[in-house]
Amino acid sequence: MNEQKNQEWNLLVPLAPAIALVPVLVVMGVEPIDLGFAAIAAPLAMFPVVLLIGQIWNGNEKWVSRFKEGGILALSALSVSLIAGLWMVLDFLGAGEKKVHGDPLTWLDFDVLRYDGTQWNIDAGFTNISFGIWLDPISAMLLFVATFLCFLICWFAIGYMTTDDINSNRNHRFFAEFILFSMGMFGMVLADSFLWLFIFWEIMGLCSYLLIGFYYWKESAAAAAKKAFMTTRVGDVFLMVGLLMLYDIYGSLDFAVVFDNPSTGVGEAPVKASELQPALLMLFIGCVGKSAQFPLHVWLPDAMEGPTPVSALIHAATMVNAGLYLVARMVPFVDVDYYGVMGMEDLGIIIAWVGGITAFMAASIAFVQNDIKKVLAYSTMSQLAYIFLGLGSALYLMSTGHRYEGLFVLGGALFHLFNHAMAKGMLFMASGSVIHEMHHAHHELHHHDGHGQHDDHDEHFDAQDMRNMGGLASKMPVTSIAMMLGSMSIIGIPLIGGFWSKEAIIAETWLGALEYEPLLLGPAILAVLTAGMTGFYMSRMWMMTFAGEPKHNAASHVHEETLWIKTPLITLSIVTATTGALLAFFHIGEFLSSKDYSMGLDDLDVTKALQIAFLPEKRTLMAVGYVTIALSTFVGPIIAMKVHGGSLKEGQEANVAVSWLVSLSAAFKTIDVSGMANSSLSDSLRKRLHFDDLYDWGISKTIAPMAKFSAWFDANVIDGIVKLVERTSIQGSHWIRTYTTGSTRDYILMAAVGALSIFILIMGVTI
Amino acid sequence: MILSSSEAAAMAPEMAIMAGILFAILVPNLGDAKARIPLTSFKFPILWGGTRFEITSDPRAPGIISTVSLAVACILSLYAIESSDGKTISGVMEITGFGRFMSMVFTAALAITAAASIYRIPSTKITVDDAKDADERTTLSLMDNRRQVDLHILLMMVALGMSLMALSTNLFFLIVCLELASMASYVLVGFHKESRIGGEAGVKYFIVGSIASATGIYGMSLLYLWAGSLDFAGLSASWAAMDTLDPLAGIGVGLMLVAFGFKVSAAPFHLAAPDAYSGTNAPIAGMLATASKAMGFVAMMRVLVGFAAPNEAVTAWAPALGVLAIITMTWGNLAALSSENPKRMLAYSSVAHAGYMLAALAALGSGLADSNTQDLLQMAIVFHLSVLVLFKMGAFLVLTLLEIEGTGKSISDMNGLARRDPIVASSMFVFMLSLAGIPPLSGFLSKFLMINGLVTTTTDTGAATAANAMSWLQSVDPYFLLALAIVLNSALSLFYYLRIGLLMFFEEPVTDSPLPKAPLLRVAILVSMVLTVLFGLGPASEWLLSLVETAISTF
Repeated sequence: MNEQKNQEWNLLVPLAPAIALVPVLVVMGVEPIDLGFAAIAAPLAMFPVVLLIGQIWNGNEKWVSRFKEGGILALSALSVSLIAGLWMVLDFLGAGEKKVHGDPLTWLDFDVLRYDGTQWNIDAGFTNISFGIWLDPISAMLLFVATFLCFLICWFAIGYMTTDDINSNRNHRFFAEFILFSMGMFGMVLADSFLWLFIFWEIMGLCSYLLIGFYYWKESAAAAAKKAFMTTRVGDVFLMVGLLMLYDIYGSLDFAVVFDNPSTGVGEAPVKASELQPALLMLFIGCVGKSAQFPLHVWLPDAMEGPTPVSALIHAATMVNAGLYLVARMVPFVDVDYYGVMGMEDLGIIIAWVGGITAFMAASIAFVQNDIKKVLAYSTMSQLAYIFLGLGSALYLMSTGHRYEGLFVLGGALFHLFNHAMAKGMLFMASGSVIHEMHHAHHELHHHDGHGQHDDHDEHFDAQDMRNMGGLASKMPVTSIAMMLGSMSIIGIPLIGGFWSKEAIIAETWLGALEYEPLLLGPAILAVLTAGMTGFYMSRMWMMTFAGEPKHNAASHVHEETLWIKTPLITLSIVTATTGALLAFFHIGEFLSSKDYSMGLDDLDVTKALQIAFLPEKRTLMAVGYVTIALSTFVGPIIAMKVHGGSLKEGQEANVAVSWLVSLSAAFKTIDVSGMANSSLSDSLRKRLHFDDLYDWGISKTIAPMAKFSAWFDANVIDGIVKLVERTSIQGSHWIRTYTTGSTRDYILMAAVGALSIFILIMGVTI
Repeated sequence: MILSSSEAAAMAPEMAIMAGILFAILVPNLGDAKARIPLTSFKFPILWGGTRFEITSDPRAPGIISTVSLAVACILSLYAIESSDGKTISGVMEITGFGRFMSMVFTAALAITAAASIYRIPSTKITVDDAKDADERTTLSLMDNRRQVDLHILLMMVALGMSLMALSTNLFFLIVCLELASMASYVLVGFHKESRIGGEAGVKYFIVGSIASATGIYGMSLLYLWAGSLDFAGLSASWAAMDTLDPLAGIGVGLMLVAFGFKVSAAPFHLAAPDAYSGTNAPIAGMLATASKAMGFVAMMRVLVGFAAPNEAVTAWAPALGVLAIITMTWGNLAALSSENPKRMLAYSSVAHAGYMLAALAALGSGLADSNTQDLLQMAIVFHLSVLVLFKMGAFLVLTLLEIEGTGKSISDMNGLARRDPIVASSMFVFMLSLAGIPPLSGFLSKFLMINGLVTTTTDTGAATAANAMSWLQSVDPYFLLALAIVLNSALSLFYYLRIGLLMFFEEPVTDSPLPKAPLLRVAILVSMVLTVLFGLGPASEWLLSLVETAISTF
């Protein structure tokens, strides 16, 4: 075992040159900001390599064992990105500048023909499209999140993907698509214009489609991929329209031009809110699609069809952040104290409402899910909705001139993005670990029972169903601790991770609702309710999986995880448990929101951070804060314990870090709720509140008939014309070939006719 | 006519071909014959006669000699393009960059033909006398070393005639050179005289061809009657001095058009061409479609642009050529649509391509072109003629491969070629796409240059907007229709070009046996394919275009 472990570490040797690359580049004099190009180029260059080598050496012994079917190559590319990203972020923090904009590379230069009334003139250098690196606090944070998580996910995937027979000889495809996806994410974060943001956004959309449909021969996976693609496509079309509108207003899509002074457009003309607001709403619809918000949320749960759990992971922890990032980029447009455009209040309110509704709806659907990944998927939707809510409040507050509060909640929302990404990344890895081990345990059991079936995927056993689990706390200590910490962060247990950011969002939304705009009251109430519901469903998931007695034979035969799976779990556990509080003490909120960032990392002020969280200046906010804490920390989890808690099987000992929770849950276990499972509410929740049915119905009434008509039109009119042309041409061909009789006499006759015709034509012109 | 040494150096490519002919005559006769010195018993080898050596009786020997000498001529021509200084030789030739460029094109095409012919004919060493019956005699007679010598000597004759033709400054000399090449090619077409179809093709091609030539020579005599000179300079001066078209001159040029129309297989003089192509073997057919056609166009340009260029008063032949062009391209494309024999299909496609180039020539003759667009149009024609050697010849080379294995008579022999040999099939597909003019291949570039030249010649780029589109259309010269015809015909031609791809990639192969090895032939196919791509876009195409430009400037 030990020997094998050493061999596994040896596999990482090829990473050495990749790790050395970035320091070498720096020594060679590359500006830190230009390392962004390396971060994007490394995965982009590795993508075809992995794909082609994987295709050529498919099944090759060495390729499988030494390179993990491309996993090691992918990891080395991502390590370049990770180190480049870290270097850039550290340099950025050290330099303490507001933003850094690298020298852009020119991509396309356009000359334009203009008609000035009498003639056409070439307007040279009309516009050029360039690509540069843009780093400000928001993109620095997201760059860290993206590079760090993508690296860990890839690491995890090497352990997860290459041990399952169903993936063998296909993993190169997975790793290639995965690093292309990563490239899209890094590019989107670093891009210095909306156009490139959109391009990378679409690359991610494509990879997401490919990864969800990784098991394309499974009908459900193919359908899920199509659904995700089509649903996000709806948003993307709006996004593109929005970008065109922005271009129309500002004459450019470069951040440098647009954000220089958002209140004046092309030719210094003042920008009207009535023009800008629709454009931003269009962008927001794109974000709704990408970040799976109501009403374009239907694709995310189905996206869990991808390779467990990695495609789920990138969909939950990284890609969905794209929409949030774009909304956060809208802040300068509405920041009325800083060249913003007046009269944009509605935008923030709409975003806040969408966030509030999604948060509540997703949390309630999560109540009844039994698939461990689906619970996490709905939790993702719900938490993203929180962030949208926060961003919406921020946009509202800033557009009405309450800059301080606005920036505060903006920082809170982005901080929540960070916390959620880390926690959810870990939760998905942990759930993947559980599923992986459940699957293997089940497989082994089958094998030992002598059923003799080598069918890997038994129809009757679902390795993802929490009703088959239970009591895993003793079998999987690392996973159970990781899952506990992650859930705590998501729930918002005081002092851990998500607590800091969630408090900020809820408090400031309430502030806005109570003092400035009653319309925000709805989202504010939904947010508090959702906090309690989050406490319930996250606790429920943990209890069902780890507490109680094993509910299926397989669950009692689970082993511990492999090195590849454990390492990222431990890393992220530490990050989740500590970083939230640490960053809160370091005032990350202010860092993320500050436009005039001038703060060093030295003013560590624990008391101030605690004061903001627990003792805000306004009494009402304090009340809201404590209600939230009460709901999420006590009410939700305790109800969950009552329903799903339970002590472990006799003789099983859990790790001390989680055993307290198990015994606590056993103490509370009282109610049996099997009767409630058949109520109409739970039924409709199980059917995801009938959204899919509604969309199916709508599509069958509108798009399907149109598609049928198009098919008819294509088959009859267009094909008819083509066929007509074809038939006529063939007839003409047969006719004209009758002149080629094969007789020399006729050939000479034709030549004579030709000679006469030439003669007539020549002489006819002049005579 | 004795050449000075500097003149001989200027004619190095022709010298190489001459040397090749001499070698091809002498080498196969070398044997182990010995002569006895009279009155002694001492014998010394005279190498002439007797039992031939292994190497000199090899049927492949003549092919190798001609391939090498033609390739050397091609390379010498390439190096002479830039350095040619317009030296005149014997008053009938002028060594120009244009002439050298064209001799490079001719010799390149013929070198490929010669190389392919080595494989086309089975290279075993049985002689005709060993044949058991008549059929075998037919086959074996083709393998004979002696027949090979004939074939390759004829090929080099063709090269010599074409190469000299490109240099000529005198109409009479031009016709003589043209006939030298044509006569040799008639024999080449009928080279399979033992088979019914081969003999018939040769005879038809010869009869129609000689009638066309006779017509042309009659036209030439009328021109002599009119101008009193056959020198291009003299003819040119007389033509420029005309106020109205002199009937003698008009009829003379018109009759010459008939002769050249046959050479470039323009409708309705093309009728013997499909028979000739399908009757002869694929390399020779490729030669007819590339080198022979290029020769016809160069001769045509010499006459039409060289001295009968439109002056202010007279734009005589342009309308005739325009009508001819449209008929030619439409006829070719339509007939190709339903051809089931791939060589016939390529023959008709070659007719269609002749139509495109005639259209460009007609625009040159319309009198609308200024010197810039004239250069552009000439460049388009010459560029097309040179890249045609790559992709038209390439397609015939693929057919040669099929012919070696005994198929290639029907288009269904292409079925599933991609599964039998993906590289050859992909190359064939590239050739087809290039023939159809799909970007970024060289076939596209040449067609693009042509259409570009036609459009800039016939329209003025004034204030065209959607609003005044109608009146703009009315202001356009009727020659603009030629560009339109090219575009429509290209669309039509896609039907049969893409069909080949369809058959090769989507049909079940008839047999799983691999294609014949023929390494040199495969290399030629691959190189043609790569160059077809490279000459379409990027630095290689710019190099070739600048070379063409240099050549045109000395036309």
